[in-house]
Amino acid sequence: MTKNGEVMNVNMLTVQDLRKSFGQFEAVKGVSFSVEKGESFGLLGPNGAGKSTTINMITGLYPPTAGTIQVKDIDVIKNAKQAQKWIGVVPQEIALYQEMSARENLKFWGRMYNLSGKALEKSIDEVLEIIGLTDRSKDKVETFSGGMKRRVNIGAAILHRPDMLIMDEPTVGIDPQSRNHILETVKRLNSEGMTIIYTSHYMEEVEYLCERIGIIDHGELIASGTLKELRETIGDRSRINLTLDSNATDTGKITAALEGLFLEKDLQLQDYLLTAFHKEPQSVLSEIIQRVTKTGARVSSVDIVEPNLESIFLHLTGRSLRD
Amino acid sequence: MRKTWTILTLHLKKFFKSPGAIVLMFVMPALFSYIFGGMTVKSQETKPLVNVVVGQGEFSTEVYKLLKKNNQYNWKKATLQQAKNNVFEQDAIAAIVIPDDLGQRITEQKPLFDVVIQRKTEQYYALNPYIQGAAGLILRSYHTAALSEPAAFPKLLEAVTVNKGIEIEKQMIQKEQNDKADINLMFVGFAIMFMMFGLSGAASTILDERIGGTWGRLMISPATRIQVILGYILSYFLVGWIQLGVLMMAMSLMFDIGWGNLAYLIPFASLVILMVVGFGLMIAGLVKTKQQASAISAVLIVSTCMLGGLYWPIEIMPDFMQTIALGVPQSWAMGGFKEIVSGSLRMVTIWKDAGALIGFSLVFFFLGLRGIKFE
Ligand SMILES: Nc1ncnc2c1ncn2[C@@H]1O[C@H](COP(=O)(O)OP(=O)(O)OP(=O)(O)O)[C@@H](O)[C@H]1O
Ligand SMILES: [Mg+2]
Repeated sequence: MTKNGEVMNVNMLTVQDLRKSFGQFEAVKGVSFSVEKGESFGLLGPNGAGKSTTINMITGLYPPTAGTIQVKDIDVIKNAKQAQKWIGVVPQEIALYQEMSARENLKFWGRMYNLSGKALEKSIDEVLEIIGLTDRSKDKVETFSGGMKRRVNIGAAILHRPDMLIMDEPTVGIDPQSRNHILETVKRLNSEGMTIIYTSHYMEEVEYLCERIGIIDHGELIASGTLKELRETIGDRSRINLTLDSNATDTGKITAALEGLFLEKDLQLQDYLLTAFHKEPQSVLSEIIQRVTKTGARVSSVDIVEPNLESIFLHLTGRSLRD
Repeated sequence: MRKTWTILTLHLKKFFKSPGAIVLMFVMPALFSYIFGGMTVKSQETKPLVNVVVGQGEFSTEVYKLLKKNNQYNWKKATLQQAKNNVFEQDAIAAIVIPDDLGQRITEQKPLFDVVIQRKTEQYYALNPYIQGAAGLILRSYHTAALSEPAAFPKLLEAVTVNKGIEIEKQMIQKEQNDKADINLMFVGFAIMFMMFGLSGAASTILDERIGGTWGRLMISPATRIQVILGYILSYFLVGWIQLGVLMMAMSLMFDIGWGNLAYLIPFASLVILMVVGFGLMIAGLVKTKQQASAISAVLIVSTCMLGGLYWPIEIMPDFMQTIALGVPQSWAMGGFKEIVSGSLRMVTIWKDAGALIGFSLVFFFLGLRGIKFE
């Protein structure tokens, strides 16, 4: 999707020190990142992390409290309408006219993005094919299932073949089959050159889709990089999860018993759940169980997780991605 | 402009797909007009009573006969006391006292009759021109007679009573037209009221769209705010025109009702519709949810419509209410419609009404557009 004369700036999107306050509450606290042309960037974070707020500033819906946003070489804050032509947005909520048919909706949104006539009709047919709703196109959106609505919601964003597609949790609440279909579609659009920004709190999706990932929590970007780079922040170590029984009340005693096996920052014990990071989990597992048992507590289950975004998030914040 | 057009057509379609809106905008005003209009027609069938106090004067009987030529009213002789009682009890709409010294009053150019009324009812307004006409007729007969021979007056009056039925007919036709204009105005009144309901409901869908996300999606599309809001406003305006146009045309076809000079009607109705659109926008701008909007608009619309003379002619309200009514746009709308529909077309009044409507529209649009959140 590269057009002529846009080679000056390889960055599709540059966000610098972006902030947004709602009254006293600061939802986004100085986020900076950039996305290159053709890249797929994932924004991963739990509920309320500030993903949507960040997205809404990039798309020009919310004016930021501070910071700058550039799409190509256009300042979004000053000249949103120019940038918006290049952007396709899939909002988190389904934003469609329910009492209108899928086709009518696509036609409407296509026109809002300057399409008309034959080009519009052609694009609608293609998009209906992509989202797999060609045979339901005349039905009212309100008669669709949640997953079908989601697909129309996405379709409305890609009609004008945007240079950059911003998707805010597009797969929430739909069945695995529709979800896979959507993920594959996005992957294909990306391989055809469309820049993708994808927010989610499903790490699998982000892992599958995105070359680079930013992890956002409490309005701050706490880490960013390729999946490989992020893995390295936890030393490419696996995570060991032990569930302890109700005798494990003295957390201090247990962590003391495990001294020497892990660095202090790699060990957490909370609500009878012991989490530790280690390069070779198999080698230390029996030792851990022995030491824990000596304190009087008992281990009721053991789980070893290969390094993934979930463990990275846990490592960075001490909380799991989905509570 | 193409985007504005797209938004406009979408909302027109949306509006006419909703059965509730159709009922509100078309069925309800037709139904109200039918019911209330039917009542008006019925009350005409039982003719209103007018008492006539026929004194001992020389021309009294002739004058009474003359008055009786109008068969729209039930003319009945009565004593002054009876007549006053009837009027007080509102059994008779008026009592006309034919003075004994009628001849003297003519020469002294005093009012010919004494008319006793309880208050100036709508029916009195209808009756009044007829009495004036009758008085005029008597005067002219007298002067005609005076030119030849004073003694000829009784004869002449008698002749007039027998022959000038035609002139009285004319008066009656005139009167009927006035009445029709009143009924027409009532149709317009109901149409405006339900248009206010319909359009403020439509405008508050912006609030639903804000929650539903389509509003936000529009805001982040390349369509500008002006294109978007213009699309909404024009769609409401068009809905208003379609409603009024369809209702008026239906009335014309079914009841052979005229709406006055279209060259005046169309621009004036446009102003009224613009005011109603502004009203809806203001409501949408002032509240947060559609529920709030419908609650507030229900109260505001019903009260201002009553005050503004949409249900009954404003003239029958007490004076202080008429003064307050100047503060609601409907009174100006009805005033202008009255001038146009009745055909009297007093331009000063029409300009004043139009000016007031423009003023109200400006205020409404200002408040509405300021209140609508574009994010
Ligand atoms: N319009 C608003 N007014 C006030 N507070 C808001 C508004 N929008 C968001 N917030 C607050 O900002 C914080 C971040 O919200 P945001 O919607 O950006 O989170 P998110 O990462 O998208 O979460 P989710 O995964 O649930 O969609 C939340 O605490 C939220 O309550
Ligand atoms: Mg969100």
